[in-house]
Amino acid sequence: MSALEIKHLFGLRGVSKHDIRLILDHAKQFREVLERPVKKVPSLRGMTVVNLFFENSTRTRTSFELAEKRLSADTVNFTSSNSSVKKGETLVDTLRNIEAMKIDIVVVRHKGTGVPKFLADNSKAIIVNAGDGAHEHPTQALLDMLTIEEKLGTLEGKNVTIVGDIRHSRVARSNLWGMTTMGAHVTLCGPSTLVPRNTELMSNVTWESDVKKAVKNADAIIALRLQKERMDDALLPSMREYRNTFGITHELLECAKDKVLIMHPGPINRGVELDSEIADGDNSVILNQVTNGVAVRMAVLYLLAGGRGNE
Amino acid sequence: MNKVILKNVRPFINGKFDAPTTMNLADGKWVQESLTDAPTFDAGGALALPALFGLGLDFKEPLRDDIYSFKDGVEAMRRGGFYGGLYESSDNAIDDSRKLSAIKQISSFAGFSFAFLGAFSVGYKCKELTEMIELAEEGAVGFGDGNQDASRTRFLRLAMEYGSMTGKRFFFMPLDESLRHHGLVHEGHYSDTLGMKGIPRVAETIAAFRILEMARFLKVPVHFKQVSCGETLKLIEMAREQGVDVTCDVDVYHLLLDDSCLFDLDSHSNVVMPFRSATDKDALWQGLKSGTVNAISVNHDPVLRQDKEVNFEDAVPGAVSLEIALPALWKPLTEKLGESRAIELLSSAPAKIAGVGGVCLGLDSKVDLVLFDDKAKTEVTSSLFAGQVRNSPLLGQTLSGKILGSYLGGLWTEV
Repeated sequence: MSALEIKHLFGLRGVSKHDIRLILDHAKQFREVLERPVKKVPSLRGMTVVNLFFENSTRTRTSFELAEKRLSADTVNFTSSNSSVKKGETLVDTLRNIEAMKIDIVVVRHKGTGVPKFLADNSKAIIVNAGDGAHEHPTQALLDMLTIEEKLGTLEGKNVTIVGDIRHSRVARSNLWGMTTMGAHVTLCGPSTLVPRNTELMSNVTWESDVKKAVKNADAIIALRLQKERMDDALLPSMREYRNTFGITHELLECAKDKVLIMHPGPINRGVELDSEIADGDNSVILNQVTNGVAVRMAVLYLLAGGRGNE
Repeated sequence: MNKVILKNVRPFINGKFDAPTTMNLADGKWVQESLTDAPTFDAGGALALPALFGLGLDFKEPLRDDIYSFKDGVEAMRRGGFYGGLYESSDNAIDDSRKLSAIKQISSFAGFSFAFLGAFSVGYKCKELTEMIELAEEGAVGFGDGNQDASRTRFLRLAMEYGSMTGKRFFFMPLDESLRHHGLVHEGHYSDTLGMKGIPRVAETIAAFRILEMARFLKVPVHFKQVSCGETLKLIEMAREQGVDVTCDVDVYHLLLDDSCLFDLDSHSNVVMPFRSATDKDALWQGLKSGTVNAISVNHDPVLRQDKEVNFEDAVPGAVSLEIALPALWKPLTEKLGESRAIELLSSAPAKIAGVGGVCLGLDSKVDLVLFDDKAKTEVTSSLFAGQVRNSPLLGQTLSGKILGSYLGGLWTEV
């Protein structure tokens, strides 16, 4: 088995094309496993994975847990609401205590940027980032890439448009790094209060404030979830104006290619960033993304473990 | 020990370092007579600089003496060669004369020159004015807000207007809290890349402009602490042209680091003001060169290890610097500005802002000095720092130059 260059998965910034290719190729194989009657392989038998979630999550945690179980790993779920963190324990102490129980891999989600790296610096376990603040959500981007490759054959030369709250989106950041590494051209579009101001970051992507222009040549459109808190923080006047200006609607898609893929990291605010008829329509690959999420997470865990399980 | 013979040392006299000589130090003075009962220290040609003065000391005592105390702070000053400093605690507002009197008592270590900023509002809350006249009579050298920026503009006006009766300077770290909006780092390329909430430059310039306009209107002298961007320096220059009495300082670490260090996500780099871009860092150096910046500050702010051994965004902001300011800055400072200006910016200039007399080296005179080997190296390790803290963004790095010892208040300390 070819090995990953990375030892942990903190994000996709700086991850090589070789590693992303390896993960996607393995994910395709695991995708086939998921179609079998018995959806389980013994790859991580004997290994223990802790899902350390300090932020609420249903689908990502479930997806990771399914991936772990289908690799035959022992899994433990640890959430901040039922843990000693609530009693004032520090993050490092929490990790060291868990590590003392002889675990192998930690999947972590936290509101703080860089927490996965911080944990890796203070632990011997393999760390997988399941979302850190607004920084990165690498497995989401990998499953997005897998979905596009599955439907379009390749990412090379494809136009991917991401619409919405770019500034606060870890999904957008990971997609930006991963997709450009794999040769796609990324266009970002969103209201001016929800896009980063420093375009230096985006030297190899295109900014477009007009959503019609942004989707015109897109092969795939990723609509980002709009957090309702953005209204409370005066970043937007109303859901209504957002939907009318940046929502992915039937009228907007008349400006796009016929077979453009419609994607969303979920959960969807129907009628806000994405109209129901589009979310459920022929162009939507949202449920494929969910299935691919399990396959990608299996690939990441398998490759990072580097065959340490009892196959 | 209060006597020491420093051999083979090059004292800074009349704007330059003299040829190697012997300094006989006794009872706080450089004396001519030879000392028979004093230990000898061969400095190996090291430099003897006038001791330094620290703007921005916060030793946490008495409210948080579990973190740090004046005893720790003074030990840090001995290790770093500081004979005095301007004290203002962000946790413990000196908002009445009894508190000032008490803290003066706590800080009464022989030979050290502390100056204190009084709070212009009770508890830094900017709701009630403090008795600034009484605070000034008790010795407050100026007034500040503990870097809280809680003041509405009308309260700011009233505080400065009332405080103007004392003739004292008002000290501010210009940072608009509303624009900061939970930001921890400079808003720019790195904050965008990392998805971290940023503090835009306008959070500083808008706060600075408001204060400068008030200072111009009321004819009150002001000082800006820890200026971090070139745009603020331009505002200061413009205000000076209009007759505003405004001084400013830049922080040690802001001259050495920029926001590119954020990629390491080291919680020791979590400081306020934030490290800004490389362009801003260059502008601060230019400000030192042109004279727009009056002095270099240390902003010694101890933070417990457990409050730094967390992820970046959950870390308590702050950095200590007294022990390493000189070796960290000496090489770039002297290369860019020369030895004389370097010493001025670290010693007499900050002392002047605090209204404290400077120190110089001369035979038959009182001396406070720091012995510095500019050819040696300093490994920045935990043991270098006084007390139980070690919160420096330079931890683990190697610095050019090494402090060998200090003679402060008549006491020789070998480092």
